Order: sequence, then C-alpha cells, then structure tokens
Amino acid sequence: MDYYFIIFAIMAVGAGIFTITAKDALPSALGLLTVFVALAALYLHLHAPLIAIFQISIYAGAILVLVVFVIMLLITPDEKLGTPQKNISYRTLGAILGAYLIVLLVIGIKGIEQLMVHRGLPDDFGHPSQIGTLFFKKYILHFEMASVLLLVALIAAIYLAKKKV
Amino acid sequence: MADWQIDLIKVVFIWTWALLIAVVMTWVERRASAMMQDRVGPNRAGPFGLLQPLADGIKLFTKEDIIPKRARKILFILGPPLFAIPAFSTYAVVPFGDKIVIGGKEIILQVSDVNIGFLYILALSAIAVYGMVIGGWASNSKYSILGGLRATAQLISYEIPMGLALLTIVLLYGTFSLREIVLQQQGTFLGVLPNWGFFKQPLGFIIFLVAAYAEANRVPFDLPECESELVTGYHTEYGSMRLGLYLFGEYVNLGTLAAVTVSLFFGGWGLPYIDMSKFLGPISYGIASFLVFFVKQAFFLFLFVWVRWTVPRFRYDQLMGLGWKALIPLGLINLFITALLVQLTV
Repeated sequence: MDYYFIIFAIMAVGAGIFTITAKDALPSALGLLTVFVALAALYLHLHAPLIAIFQISIYAGAILVLVVFVIMLLITPDEKLGTPQKNISYRTLGAILGAYLIVLLVIGIKGIEQLMVHRGLPDDFGHPSQIGTLFFKKYILHFEMASVLLLVALIAAIYLAKKKV
Repeated sequence: MADWQIDLIKVVFIWTWALLIAVVMTWVERRASAMMQDRVGPNRAGPFGLLQPLADGIKLFTKEDIIPKRARKILFILGPPLFAIPAFSTYAVVPFGDKIVIGGKEIILQVSDVNIGFLYILALSAIAVYGMVIGGWASNSKYSILGGLRATAQLISYEIPMGLALLTIVLLYGTFSLREIVLQQQGTFLGVLPNWGFFKQPLGFIIFLVAAYAEANRVPFDLPECESELVTGYHTEYGSMRLGLYLFGEYVNLGTLAAVTVSLFFGGWGLPYIDMSKFLGPISYGIASFLVFFVKQAFFLFLFVWVRWTVPRFRYDQLMGLGWKALIPLGLINLFITALLVQLTV
C-alpha cells in the first residue's frame, strides 16, 4: 500500500468537498488552498518537483490570492454564502455534467491495469532543464499556441477594462 | 553519525540561529532608530539594553490573551503561525557556509541542496501572504480587513518584479541550486571585480531589493499596517503572544530575505579576492565561511533598519504605480537584455 499517496489523496478529496460545501467564503478558499498543497505533495511523490512548485507558486500563490482578494473586498466575516441553487433546470444540468465527468473517469480507470507497470525513470526525470528542453524542442508549437491564447485573453481583458470613448 | 542526525543538527542550528537573529534585530531596530533620531533608546535592561528583547518577550507572554467576540476563532488562532512558518522554512535551502570537515566527514553547510531551491523560495514567499489575510479577515474589524486587502494586492504585485529579477540570475548561472549559484560567484571577472551577481546584474539587484522590501512589508512599503491610516492594519485586533508572533515573524522574514540577497547577489560565504580554503584548516574554514556569510547578512539586515528610519511611506496608489509601471517594465527589459547577452556570449 502506498500510504503517502493515500494520505494526500484523502486530504485533497476531503478539502475539495469542504471547499464546495463550506458556508463561509474565506474558509472555502482555504479549503481550495489545502487541495493545491495536497496535489503539490502528490506531484513530488511522482518525481515532478518542478510541477509541484509551480502548483504552489502559481495556483496557491497567484490565482488563489486573487480569489481571496475579491472575497476580502466583497464579503465580510459575518456574511454567509447564499443557499444552494434552487433553480431546477440548473440542478438537472449540473447533475448531467457531473455524471458525464464520472463516466469519463470510470472509462479512464478501466485502462489502468496496463499502466500499472513499474518502469525505471530516466536519469534527470523531472529536472527543470529537461522540462525546458521538451518545451522548446519537441512541444514548441503547443507552447507557442498556449502563449498566443493567453495573449488573446490579455488583449480582451484590456479592451473590456478600458474607458469607453 | 548517520546522515539524518547531521541533517537534524543542521536544521536545529539554523532555526535557532534565525530565531536569535530575529531577537537581536528587535533590539537593533530600536537602538538604531534612536541613534538616527538622536535619542537614547532602550538602555535599562542589561548592558546597552541588550536584555530588552527578553523583557519584551516576558511582557507579551504574560499579557491576557484576548480573542474578540465577533472574530472567527479558529482562523484567528491560525493566522500568526501561518505567517511565521513560511519565513522559517525558507532557511532550508539557503547555503549558510561552504563545507566543514569533522572526523573525516565532509558536511555541506546547507540543510538541503535541492536542484529547485530557487523556486522553493519563490513558492514560499508566495504563500506567506495567507497569514496576513487570514488574520485580517478573521479579526472581523474594518482596519484589519483593509490591511489584509492591501497585503494581498501588494504582495501579488511585487511577486512579479521579484520573479523577473530572479529569472535573470537563473539565466546568468544556468542553475536553480542556490549552492551552485554561490559557487559560481567565487573568483573575479574583468580582472578586478568580484564575480558577484551584484556586479553582473546591478539592475536586477535593485529591482529585487525594492521588491524584497515590499514583500517584507517594511517602510516605505508597509501599507498593510500603516499606523497613520489603519491603526496597525491586519494585526490591529491581536494582542499578547499572538501579536508577538506576527512581529517576530516579520524579523525572521527579514533575516531570510537578507540571506537570499547575499546568496544571489553578493557571493554567499565567499570573500572577494581571497580563497580562504587555502590557508585555513578544514574546521576553521567552515566556521570562517559561516562568519563571512553572517557579516554580509548582518549588513543587509541593518540596511532594512536604515531605510525604515530614513524614507517616508508611499501612498497606496504610488506603491501600485511603482510596482506595475516602473518595476515590471524594467524587469522585462532587464530580462531581455540579459537573455540577449547570455545568448551572444555562450
């Protein structure tokens, strides 16, 4: 049994459930923080320290801080979050989407038997320099595509935020 | 001795050292500010008032521990430790000396030489903000929430120039390991200048230093606790040792930032022009390298105090303007030039 995996997997799932059920805004955000930290620990376990650090510094350190910023701006500690969604059509849609994701997950798990073979890792697996090489040699097109997409989003954000003339 | 025992000794040693620096810093801050303002400063407890931190500690410990009635209790208690822990943890990757040979065993004076030590520092400085945010929000007071709000915006803004300045260092030395970065800074280049990051990357150093002051919430960037507007900002509602932990964590943070500055820009434990390992024994060399590191660190700690009592505080919009309109473009240009130079010379 891989206890390391089980501990952090339970931590991630538990914190995730807390995140979506918490009635207070900031504790919910902290639940999400716990999910990120647990995921980072799992990445470390998978010999991917760089991904783990990015998980912490980008998701926990930048994106979640922005979320927390909005919470601090709009919600005081005395306020509880509103009641769950009452609209029946939204709820049905949510259920369908959820079921779809679970089916996807199950299909993914079915093939796991073939994946569970122990393989030796290459020497510098997970090392920053190797990831850099992969990015700029083999996956350069994907990398550039992602950056163009981000640029489009950036321009759109500036356009939406600028003063109307 | 087994390896884990050596590691344990290193961890205990460096944490005790960090604590000691923080304790002495509270005294240095008060004495130095008094010196700069032509006052006497605390001089009653012990010689030169050196026992003042002890007296302060006893005072904070024996005060009543008050949790405001409308505060969120668990988060309120969680805030101060969450603030202090990241500051301590950063020391794990800082090389505080070269190596020492005891009983034929070579010991590297660094808790852990991981190949992503550099990013580890960035990640920890990114999550340090949660202590302030949680404390501010849980206090359920206007001043505290405003302080926490400012802290989030300020830290996220200054993370970017700091990251850009650090990237130039990575470009220059081609590694994420702090120990290797320090090793590459020994010796000289162009004949006269020490091989320090400061001389190769002066603009990067300035950007890093300004961003470090903002990350540490020190004057001129202490907007989250700005007394003239917010009482004391995010820790307004805190008292007794919980407040002590916030104040103390700030000094530990200063020690960490000074250590990182020395490692990245000022050659870490090495002396310029002199190779100490040639004429010192293995044990005394280890101790000497640690002392050199400490002297450099002490200078940057004093610089924090010096700046605090010299420069007035920024206004909040000025702070944001400096971060986004001056430091980030400068950092980008610096990164571009450095990348070009590295590409041309390699």
